[in-house]
Amino acid sequence: MYLIFFSNLVFAFDQEATYLVLNHFDESLPNIDQSLIDNFNNASFNFDESVNLLFDDIDSDNNPASKYMDQIKELGAIHHVNYILLNKIKHIDNRIIMEGLLFNTRSGGLVHRRKINVKNYNNGSVNEISLWVGEIRNKIQKQWEKARESIMFQNPEEISYDKTPMGAALRSLAIPGWGQAYSGNSLSAGLWAALELSLSVAFISSYTNYDTSAKSYLQNLKSYNTTDDEKEVSAYRASAEKDWDDHVMYSKLAIALAGSTITGWVSNSVHAWVFGPRPYTNIYQKGLPQTAVPKG
Amino acid sequence: MRIFNGFAVLLCSTLILSSCTIYDKIFDNPVDFKANEERGIEAPTLVFYPKSQTKTQTDSIIVGSFIVFKDDSTEPFSGLQLQIEFPNNLIELDTILPGLFLTDTSQSTPLFTYTYNGNNLVDIYAYFLGTTKLDIDGTGHLADLIFSPSASGKDSIFYHLNNCTMINHKDDQIEVNGIRSAEIIIE
Repeated sequence: MYLIFFSNLVFAFDQEATYLVLNHFDESLPNIDQSLIDNFNNASFNFDESVNLLFDDIDSDNNPASKYMDQIKELGAIHHVNYILLNKIKHIDNRIIMEGLLFNTRSGGLVHRRKINVKNYNNGSVNEISLWVGEIRNKIQKQWEKARESIMFQNPEEISYDKTPMGAALRSLAIPGWGQAYSGNSLSAGLWAALELSLSVAFISSYTNYDTSAKSYLQNLKSYNTTDDEKEVSAYRASAEKDWDDHVMYSKLAIALAGSTITGWVSNSVHAWVFGPRPYTNIYQKGLPQTAVPKG
Repeated sequence: MRIFNGFAVLLCSTLILSSCTIYDKIFDNPVDFKANEERGIEAPTLVFYPKSQTKTQTDSIIVGSFIVFKDDSTEPFSGLQLQIEFPNNLIELDTILPGLFLTDTSQSTPLFTYTYNGNNLVDIYAYFLGTTKLDIDGTGHLADLIFSPSASGKDSIFYHLNNCTMINHKDDQIEVNGIRSAEIIIE
Protein backbone atom coordinates (compact mmCIF):
# COMPACT_ATOMS: atom_id res chain seq x y z
CA MET A 1 0.00 0.00 0.00
CA TYR A 2 1.27 3.45 -0.74
CA LEU A 3 0.04 6.93 -0.02
CA ILE A 4 0.30 9.97 -2.14
CA PHE A 5 -0.31 13.48 -0.84
CA PHE A 6 -0.24 16.34 -3.22
CA SER A 7 -2.39 19.04 -4.67
CA ASN A 8 -4.32 18.77 -7.85
CA LEU A 9 -3.45 22.31 -8.74
CA VAL A 10 -1.51 22.70 -11.91
CA PHE A 11 0.72 25.73 -11.99
CA ALA A 12 1.31 27.32 -15.31
CA PHE A 13 4.54 29.08 -14.50
CA ASP A 14 6.43 31.36 -16.76
CA GLN A 15 8.11 29.12 -19.29
CA GLU A 16 11.27 31.24 -19.07
CA ALA A 17 11.40 31.12 -15.26
CA THR A 18 14.67 30.52 -13.49
CA TYR A 19 14.97 28.08 -10.62
CA LEU A 20 17.41 27.45 -7.86
CA VAL A 21 17.19 23.70 -7.21
CA LEU A 22 18.13 22.39 -3.78
CA ASN A 23 18.26 18.62 -3.74
CA HIS A 24 18.46 16.88 -0.39
CA PHE A 25 18.66 13.14 -0.96
CA ASP A 26 19.56 10.39 1.47
CA GLU A 27 21.35 8.56 -1.30
CA SER A 28 23.06 9.73 -4.41
CA LEU A 29 21.10 10.33 -7.64
CA PRO A 30 23.99 11.09 -10.04
CA ASN A 31 22.01 12.08 -13.12
CA ILE A 32 19.25 14.06 -11.57
CA ASP A 33 20.58 17.54 -12.36
CA GLN A 34 21.18 16.73 -15.99
CA SER A 35 17.83 14.96 -16.19
CA LEU A 36 16.02 18.15 -15.17
CA ILE A 37 17.96 20.22 -17.66
CA ASP A 38 17.24 17.74 -20.43
CA ASN A 39 13.57 17.30 -19.65
CA PHE A 40 12.81 20.99 -19.15
CA ASN A 41 15.19 22.65 -21.56
CA ASN A 42 13.36 25.95 -21.78
CA ALA A 43 13.78 26.61 -18.08
CA SER A 44 16.93 27.71 -16.32
CA PHE A 45 18.06 25.67 -13.32
CA ASN A 46 20.81 26.55 -10.89
CA PHE A 47 21.92 23.86 -8.45
CA ASP A 48 23.40 24.67 -5.10
CA GLU A 49 24.33 21.89 -2.72
CA SER A 50 25.72 24.27 -0.14
CA VAL A 51 22.34 25.17 1.33
CA ASN A 52 21.74 22.51 3.95
CA LEU A 53 19.22 22.00 6.67
CA LEU A 54 17.48 25.21 5.83
CA PHE A 55 14.00 23.83 5.38
CA ASP A 56 13.65 21.30 8.14
CA ASP A 57 10.63 21.31 10.42
CA ILE A 58 8.48 23.34 8.07
CA ASP A 59 5.33 21.78 9.52
CA SER A 60 6.23 22.76 13.06
CA ASP A 61 5.59 26.44 12.31
CA ASN A 62 2.17 27.99 12.64
CA ASN A 63 2.52 29.48 9.18
CA PRO A 64 4.82 27.19 7.22
CA ALA A 65 4.23 29.06 3.96
CA SER A 66 6.01 32.11 5.29
CA LYS A 67 8.46 30.55 7.73
CA TYR A 68 11.55 31.04 5.53
CA MET A 69 10.41 34.19 3.76
CA ASP A 70 13.53 36.21 4.45
CA GLN A 71 15.94 33.41 3.61
CA ILE A 72 14.10 32.71 0.34
CA LYS A 73 14.25 36.34 -0.72
CA GLU A 74 17.93 36.47 0.16
CA LEU A 75 18.71 33.28 -1.80
CA GLY A 76 16.70 34.60 -4.75
CA ALA A 77 18.71 37.81 -4.76
CA ILE A 78 22.03 35.97 -4.51
CA HIS A 79 21.26 33.50 -7.31
CA HIS A 80 19.03 35.77 -9.41
CA VAL A 81 16.24 33.23 -9.74
CA ASN A 82 12.44 33.47 -9.76
CA TYR A 83 11.80 30.31 -7.77
CA ILE A 84 13.53 28.02 -5.35
CA LEU A 85 12.75 24.35 -5.77
CA LEU A 86 13.53 22.09 -2.83
CA ASN A 87 13.44 18.34 -3.41
CA LYS A 88 13.85 16.02 -0.43
CA ILE A 89 13.95 12.27 -0.93
CA LYS A 90 14.31 9.57 1.71
CA HIS A 91 14.28 5.86 1.13
CA ILE A 92 12.72 3.83 3.90
CA ASP A 93 12.55 0.09 3.42
CA ASN A 94 11.29 -0.33 -0.11
CA ARG A 95 9.54 3.02 -0.36
CA ILE A 96 10.33 6.47 -1.67
CA ILE A 97 9.26 9.33 0.58
CA MET A 98 9.54 12.54 -1.38
CA GLU A 99 8.72 16.09 -0.45
CA GLY A 100 8.81 18.91 -2.96
CA LEU A 101 8.58 22.60 -2.02
CA LEU A 102 8.37 25.51 -4.45
CA PHE A 103 9.04 29.00 -3.14
CA ASN A 104 8.56 32.30 -4.93
CA THR A 105 11.64 34.46 -4.38
CA ARG A 106 9.78 37.73 -4.92
CA SER A 107 7.37 37.15 -2.02
CA GLY A 108 9.43 34.57 -0.16
CA GLY A 109 6.35 32.41 0.32
CA LEU A 110 5.75 28.72 -0.26
CA VAL A 111 3.58 28.51 -3.37
CA HIS A 112 3.39 24.79 -4.01
CA ARG A 113 4.10 21.64 -2.08
CA ARG A 114 3.93 17.96 -2.72
CA LYS A 115 4.46 14.98 -0.43
CA ILE A 116 4.50 11.48 -1.76
CA ASN A 117 5.04 8.05 -0.23
CA VAL A 118 5.24 5.42 -2.91
CA LYS A 119 6.68 1.97 -3.43
CA ASN A 120 10.12 2.15 -4.97
CA TYR A 121 10.41 1.21 -8.62
CA ASN A 122 12.97 1.31 -11.35
CA ASN A 123 14.58 4.78 -11.46
CA GLY A 124 11.68 5.82 -9.26
CA SER A 125 13.34 8.77 -7.52
CA VAL A 126 14.33 10.46 -10.75
CA ASN A 127 10.93 9.73 -12.26
CA GLU A 128 9.10 11.16 -9.25
CA ILE A 129 11.14 14.37 -9.42
CA SER A 130 10.37 14.59 -13.12
CA LEU A 131 6.67 14.17 -12.39
CA TRP A 132 6.86 16.80 -9.66
CA VAL A 133 8.69 19.38 -11.79
CA GLY A 134 6.51 18.42 -14.75
CA GLU A 135 3.46 19.20 -12.71
CA ILE A 136 4.88 22.59 -11.80
CA ARG A 137 5.65 23.36 -15.40
CA ASN A 138 2.56 21.62 -16.72
CA LYS A 139 4.67 19.33 -18.86
CA ILE A 140 4.16 15.73 -17.84
CA GLN A 141 5.43 13.16 -20.25
CA LYS A 142 3.56 9.94 -20.86
CA GLN A 143 6.57 7.75 -20.19
CA TRP A 144 6.85 9.12 -16.64
CA GLU A 145 3.28 8.11 -15.95
CA LYS A 146 3.87 4.72 -17.54
CA ALA A 147 6.93 4.24 -15.39
CA ARG A 148 4.98 4.91 -12.25
CA GLU A 149 2.20 2.59 -13.36
CA SER A 150 4.72 -0.22 -13.19
CA ILE A 151 4.23 -0.31 -9.42
CA MET A 152 0.54 -0.96 -9.81
CA PHE A 153 -1.00 -4.39 -10.20
CA GLN A 154 -1.05 -5.31 -13.83
CA ASN A 155 -4.18 -7.39 -13.37
CA PRO A 156 -6.27 -5.74 -10.66
CA GLU A 157 -9.01 -8.33 -11.04
CA GLU A 158 -6.59 -10.95 -9.74
CA ILE A 159 -5.95 -9.08 -6.52
CA SER A 160 -7.13 -11.02 -3.49
CA TYR A 161 -7.99 -9.03 -0.42
CA ASP A 162 -7.52 -10.09 3.17
CA LYS A 163 -10.76 -8.37 4.20
CA THR A 164 -13.89 -8.24 2.12
CA PRO A 165 -17.43 -6.88 2.59
CA MET A 166 -18.77 -10.43 2.32
CA GLY A 167 -16.41 -11.53 5.08
CA ALA A 168 -17.74 -8.71 7.24
CA ALA A 169 -21.37 -9.60 6.42
CA LEU A 170 -20.90 -13.28 7.28
CA ARG A 171 -19.18 -12.43 10.53
CA SER A 172 -22.00 -10.11 11.53
CA LEU A 173 -24.49 -12.78 10.59
CA ALA A 174 -22.74 -15.14 12.99
CA ILE A 175 -22.22 -12.63 15.81
CA PRO A 176 -23.72 -9.12 15.59
CA GLY A 177 -21.00 -6.47 15.55
CA TRP A 178 -18.24 -8.89 14.61
CA GLY A 179 -18.29 -7.73 10.98
CA GLN A 180 -18.05 -4.08 12.01
CA ALA A 181 -15.17 -4.90 14.37
CA TYR A 182 -13.53 -6.82 11.54
CA SER A 183 -13.86 -3.66 9.42
CA GLY A 184 -12.24 -1.63 12.18
CA ASN A 185 -15.36 0.21 13.29
CA SER A 186 -15.40 -0.47 17.01
CA LEU A 187 -18.13 2.04 17.89
CA SER A 188 -20.52 0.64 15.34
CA ALA A 189 -19.63 -2.89 16.42
CA GLY A 190 -20.40 -2.06 20.02
CA LEU A 191 -23.70 -0.41 19.17
CA TRP A 192 -24.87 -3.32 17.01
CA ALA A 193 -23.79 -5.88 19.57
CA ALA A 194 -25.54 -3.97 22.36
CA LEU A 195 -28.71 -3.55 20.30
CA GLU A 196 -28.90 -7.20 19.33
CA LEU A 197 -28.01 -8.35 22.83
CA SER A 198 -30.75 -6.15 24.30
CA LEU A 199 -33.32 -7.38 21.80
CA SER A 200 -32.28 -10.98 22.36
CA VAL A 201 -32.47 -10.67 26.13
CA ALA A 202 -35.87 -8.98 25.86
CA PHE A 203 -37.08 -11.72 23.54
CA ILE A 204 -35.83 -14.51 25.81
CA SER A 205 -37.36 -12.77 28.81
CA SER A 206 -40.72 -12.43 27.04
CA TYR A 207 -40.58 -16.01 25.86
CA THR A 208 -39.80 -17.21 29.39
CA ASN A 209 -42.73 -15.22 30.74
CA TYR A 210 -44.94 -16.62 27.99
CA ASP A 211 -43.85 -20.15 28.79
CA THR A 212 -44.42 -19.65 32.52
CA SER A 213 -47.86 -18.13 31.95
CA ALA A 214 -48.87 -20.85 29.50
CA LYS A 215 -47.84 -23.64 31.89
CA SER A 216 -49.54 -21.92 34.78
CA TYR A 217 -52.70 -21.53 32.70
CA LEU A 218 -52.74 -25.22 31.82
CA GLN A 219 -52.15 -26.19 35.44
CA ASN A 220 -54.90 -23.91 36.74
CA LEU A 221 -57.25 -25.08 33.99
CA LYS A 222 -56.60 -28.68 35.00
CA SER A 223 -57.28 -27.85 38.66
CA TYR A 224 -60.40 -25.94 37.63
CA ASN A 225 -61.73 -28.92 35.72
CA THR A 226 -61.01 -31.43 38.46
CA THR A 227 -62.74 -29.78 41.39
CA ASP A 228 -66.42 -29.53 42.27
CA ASP A 229 -65.90 -27.00 45.05
CA GLU A 230 -67.42 -23.72 43.96
CA LYS A 231 -64.83 -21.59 45.77
CA GLU A 232 -61.93 -23.50 44.27
CA VAL A 233 -63.59 -23.36 40.87
CA SER A 234 -63.88 -19.60 41.15
CA ALA A 235 -60.29 -19.19 42.36
CA TYR A 236 -58.77 -21.47 39.73
CA ARG A 237 -60.79 -19.79 37.02
CA ALA A 238 -59.61 -16.31 38.09
CA SER A 239 -55.99 -17.49 38.10
CA ALA A 240 -56.34 -19.26 34.79
CA GLU A 241 -57.94 -16.20 33.15
CA LYS A 242 -55.07 -14.01 34.33
CA ASP A 243 -52.53 -16.56 33.09
CA TRP A 244 -54.33 -16.77 29.76
CA ASP A 245 -54.24 -12.98 29.31
CA ASP A 246 -50.55 -12.96 30.28
CA HIS A 247 -49.60 -15.76 27.92
CA VAL A 248 -51.33 -13.98 25.02
CA MET A 249 -49.60 -10.69 25.83
CA TYR A 250 -46.15 -12.27 26.23
CA SER A 251 -46.64 -14.33 23.11
CA LYS A 252 -47.33 -11.20 21.05
CA LEU A 253 -44.42 -9.43 22.70
CA ALA A 254 -42.08 -12.37 22.10
CA ILE A 255 -43.08 -12.56 18.44
CA ALA A 256 -42.59 -8.80 18.00
CA LEU A 257 -39.20 -8.94 19.72
CA ALA A 258 -38.17 -12.01 17.74
CA GLY A 259 -39.09 -10.18 14.55
CA SER A 260 -37.12 -7.14 15.67
CA THR A 261 -34.16 -9.29 16.66
CA ILE A 262 -34.06 -11.12 13.34
CA THR A 263 -34.61 -7.91 11.36
CA GLY A 264 -31.88 -6.21 13.34
CA TRP A 265 -29.60 -9.22 12.88
CA VAL A 266 -30.02 -9.18 9.12
CA SER A 267 -29.74 -5.37 9.02
CA ASN A 268 -26.54 -5.65 11.01
CA SER A 269 -25.18 -8.06 8.44
CA VAL A 270 -26.25 -5.80 5.56
CA HIS A 271 -24.70 -2.82 7.35
CA ALA A 272 -21.47 -4.76 7.75
CA TRP A 273 -21.51 -5.52 4.03
CA VAL A 274 -22.33 -1.94 2.95
CA PHE A 275 -19.68 -0.40 5.19
CA GLY A 276 -17.34 -3.35 4.91
CA PRO A 277 -13.67 -3.07 3.99
CA ARG A 278 -13.19 -2.11 0.37
CA PRO A 279 -9.77 -1.45 -1.14
CA TYR A 280 -9.09 1.84 -2.90
CA THR A 281 -8.68 1.05 -6.55
CA ASN A 282 -7.72 4.46 -7.89
CA ILE A 283 -5.29 5.96 -5.39
CA TYR A 284 -2.67 6.38 -8.04
CA GLN A 285 -4.91 7.94 -10.64
CA LYS A 286 -6.37 10.43 -8.20
CA GLY A 287 -3.10 12.32 -8.00
CA LEU A 288 -2.58 12.75 -11.71
CA PRO A 289 -3.71 15.75 -13.76
CA GLN A 290 -7.23 15.27 -15.03
CA THR A 291 -6.11 14.83 -18.60
CA ALA A 292 -3.86 11.96 -17.60
CA VAL A 293 -6.44 9.98 -15.64
CA PRO A 294 -7.39 6.84 -17.54
CA LYS A 295 -11.09 6.57 -18.24
CA GLY A 296 -13.22 3.85 -16.76
CA MET B 1 -19.96 -21.41 11.03
CA ARG B 2 -22.79 -22.64 8.82
CA ILE B 3 -23.75 -25.29 11.37
CA PHE B 4 -23.83 -22.61 14.05
CA ASN B 5 -25.98 -20.31 11.91
CA GLY B 6 -28.31 -23.16 11.05
CA PHE B 7 -28.67 -24.07 14.69
CA ALA B 8 -29.38 -20.44 15.64
CA VAL B 9 -32.01 -20.10 12.93
CA LEU B 10 -33.62 -23.40 13.96
CA LEU B 11 -33.65 -22.38 17.61
CA CYS B 12 -35.19 -18.99 16.82
CA SER B 13 -37.78 -20.56 14.52
CA THR B 14 -38.75 -23.11 17.15
CA LEU B 15 -39.08 -20.45 19.83
CA ILE B 16 -41.10 -18.17 17.55
CA LEU B 17 -43.42 -20.94 16.40
CA SER B 18 -43.83 -22.06 19.99
CA SER B 19 -44.60 -18.46 20.95
CA CYS B 20 -47.35 -18.46 18.37
CA THR B 21 -49.25 -21.14 20.29
CA ILE B 22 -52.24 -19.51 21.92
CA TYR B 23 -54.22 -22.00 23.98
CA ASP B 24 -57.99 -22.07 23.75
CA LYS B 25 -59.68 -20.27 26.57
CA ILE B 26 -62.24 -22.91 27.50
CA PHE B 27 -63.81 -22.94 30.95
CA ASP B 28 -66.50 -25.60 31.19
CA ASN B 29 -66.88 -26.83 34.71
CA PRO B 30 -70.62 -27.46 35.35
CA VAL B 31 -70.22 -26.12 38.90
CA ASP B 32 -69.05 -22.77 37.47
CA PHE B 33 -72.09 -20.52 36.96
CA LYS B 34 -70.05 -18.32 34.58
CA ALA B 35 -69.30 -21.31 32.37
CA ASN B 36 -73.00 -22.20 32.32
CA GLU B 37 -73.99 -18.63 31.50
CA GLU B 38 -71.46 -18.59 28.65
CA ARG B 39 -73.42 -21.53 27.21
CA GLY B 40 -76.76 -19.78 27.65
CA ILE B 41 -77.81 -21.77 30.73
CA GLU B 42 -79.17 -19.48 33.39
CA ALA B 43 -78.84 -20.02 37.14
CA PRO B 44 -80.11 -21.58 39.27
CA THR B 45 -78.94 -24.62 37.35
CA LEU B 46 -79.09 -28.31 38.10
CA VAL B 47 -75.95 -29.98 36.87
CA PHE B 48 -73.97 -33.19 37.11
CA TYR B 49 -70.31 -33.39 37.92
CA PRO B 50 -68.19 -34.48 36.19
CA LYS B 51 -69.71 -33.51 32.88
CA SER B 52 -68.11 -36.52 31.22
CA GLN B 53 -66.42 -39.66 32.45
CA THR B 54 -65.05 -42.79 30.89
CA LYS B 55 -65.10 -46.02 32.83
CA THR B 56 -64.48 -49.72 32.30
CA GLN B 57 -66.91 -52.52 32.93
CA THR B 58 -65.44 -53.17 36.37
CA ASP B 59 -65.56 -49.58 37.61
CA SER B 60 -68.25 -47.89 39.66
CA ILE B 61 -69.68 -44.73 38.18
CA ILE B 62 -70.25 -41.89 40.59
CA VAL B 63 -72.23 -38.94 39.30
CA GLY B 64 -72.63 -35.91 41.54
CA SER B 65 -75.78 -33.84 41.41
CA PHE B 66 -75.29 -30.11 42.08
CA ILE B 67 -77.34 -26.96 42.31
CA VAL B 68 -75.48 -23.92 40.98
CA PHE B 69 -76.43 -20.37 41.86
CA LYS B 70 -74.85 -17.12 40.76
CA ASP B 71 -72.68 -16.00 43.63
CA ASP B 72 -74.53 -12.69 43.96
CA SER B 73 -78.09 -14.02 43.73
CA THR B 74 -78.40 -17.15 45.83
CA GLU B 75 -81.76 -18.15 47.23
CA PRO B 76 -82.16 -20.21 50.41
CA PHE B 77 -84.06 -23.43 49.91
CA SER B 78 -85.50 -25.99 52.29
CA GLY B 79 -86.61 -28.78 50.03
CA LEU B 80 -86.11 -30.18 46.59
CA GLN B 81 -87.27 -32.85 44.20
CA LEU B 82 -85.07 -34.02 41.37
CA GLN B 83 -86.13 -36.35 38.58
CA ILE B 84 -83.19 -37.95 36.84
CA GLU B 85 -83.18 -40.23 33.83
CA PHE B 86 -80.23 -42.50 33.16
CA PRO B 87 -79.47 -44.93 30.30
CA ASN B 88 -80.46 -48.28 31.81
CA ASN B 89 -79.18 -50.12 28.78
CA LEU B 90 -75.70 -48.98 29.77
CA ILE B 91 -75.66 -48.66 33.54
CA GLU B 92 -77.60 -49.98 36.54
CA LEU B 93 -78.49 -47.94 39.60
CA ASP B 94 -76.53 -49.03 42.63
CA THR B 95 -76.84 -46.43 45.40
CA ILE B 96 -77.93 -42.84 45.98
CA LEU B 97 -76.31 -40.86 48.77
CA PRO B 98 -77.14 -37.36 50.12
CA GLY B 99 -74.67 -34.71 49.11
CA LEU B 100 -72.32 -32.91 51.45
CA PHE B 101 -74.20 -29.66 50.89
CA LEU B 102 -77.37 -31.12 52.35
CA THR B 103 -75.67 -32.93 55.21
CA ASP B 104 -73.51 -29.91 55.98
CA THR B 105 -70.44 -32.06 55.42
CA SER B 106 -72.02 -34.90 57.40
CA GLN B 107 -72.96 -32.67 60.36
CA SER B 108 -76.75 -32.92 59.93
CA THR B 109 -79.20 -35.46 58.55
CA PRO B 110 -82.05 -34.00 56.54
CA LEU B 111 -84.90 -36.10 55.24
CA PHE B 112 -83.45 -37.68 52.16
CA THR B 113 -85.17 -40.34 50.13
CA TYR B 114 -85.66 -41.44 46.57
CA THR B 115 -87.87 -43.56 44.41
CA TYR B 116 -86.76 -45.69 41.51
CA ASN B 117 -89.23 -46.85 38.90
CA GLY B 118 -87.17 -49.95 38.18
CA ASN B 119 -86.49 -48.75 34.71
CA ASN B 120 -84.51 -45.57 34.09
CA LEU B 121 -86.07 -42.85 36.27
CA VAL B 122 -85.05 -41.81 39.76
CA ASP B 123 -86.84 -39.21 41.88
CA ILE B 124 -84.87 -37.76 44.77
CA TYR B 125 -86.47 -35.87 47.65
CA ALA B 126 -84.72 -33.88 50.36
CA TYR B 127 -86.26 -31.67 53.10
CA PHE B 128 -85.06 -29.75 56.11
CA LEU B 129 -87.49 -30.36 58.93
CA GLY B 130 -85.44 -28.96 61.78
CA THR B 131 -86.16 -25.86 63.86
CA THR B 132 -82.65 -24.50 64.16
CA LYS B 133 -81.75 -24.73 60.50
CA LEU B 134 -84.55 -23.97 58.10
CA ASP B 135 -82.72 -23.73 54.83
CA ILE B 136 -79.41 -23.56 52.95
CA ASP B 137 -78.25 -21.31 50.17
CA GLY B 138 -75.54 -21.24 47.55
CA THR B 139 -74.00 -23.64 45.13
CA GLY B 140 -73.62 -27.14 46.49
CA HIS B 141 -73.58 -30.86 46.29
CA LEU B 142 -77.08 -32.39 46.46
CA ALA B 143 -76.54 -36.10 45.93
CA ASP B 144 -74.23 -38.78 44.63
CA LEU B 145 -75.65 -41.38 42.26
CA ILE B 146 -73.63 -44.56 42.05
CA PHE B 147 -74.09 -46.86 39.06
CA SER B 148 -72.67 -50.12 37.84
CA PRO B 149 -71.88 -50.63 34.15
CA SER B 150 -73.99 -53.22 32.35
CA ALA B 151 -72.79 -52.79 28.78
CA SER B 152 -70.35 -50.85 26.67
CA GLY B 153 -71.39 -47.66 25.00
CA LYS B 154 -71.89 -43.95 25.35
CA ASP B 155 -74.94 -42.12 26.63
CA SER B 156 -76.10 -39.34 28.93
CA ILE B 157 -77.76 -38.89 32.27
CA PHE B 158 -80.03 -35.88 32.56
CA TYR B 159 -82.65 -34.07 34.63
CA HIS B 160 -86.28 -33.72 33.71
CA LEU B 161 -86.57 -30.02 34.34
CA ASN B 162 -90.35 -30.01 34.50
CA ASN B 163 -90.27 -32.49 37.33
CA CYS B 164 -87.57 -30.80 39.35
CA THR B 165 -88.71 -28.52 42.14
CA MET B 166 -87.10 -26.40 44.83
CA ILE B 167 -88.98 -24.73 47.67
CA ASN B 168 -88.05 -22.43 50.53
CA HIS B 169 -89.10 -22.86 54.15
CA LYS B 170 -92.33 -20.99 53.40
CA ASP B 171 -93.16 -23.57 50.78
CA ASP B 172 -92.69 -21.03 47.99
CA GLN B 173 -91.30 -22.50 44.82
CA ILE B 174 -87.85 -21.46 43.61
CA GLU B 175 -87.60 -21.53 39.88
CA VAL B 176 -84.87 -23.68 38.35
CA ASN B 177 -83.79 -22.01 35.11
CA GLY B 178 -81.50 -24.56 33.57
CA ILE B 179 -80.11 -28.06 33.56
CA ARG B 180 -77.00 -29.73 32.23
CA SER B 181 -76.62 -33.39 31.47
CA ALA B 182 -73.52 -35.58 31.88
CA GLU B 183 -71.92 -37.98 29.48
CA ILE B 184 -71.01 -41.53 30.47
CA ILE B 185 -68.76 -43.72 28.37
CA ILE B 186 -68.34 -47.38 29.21
CA GLU B 187 -65.44 -49.12 27.48
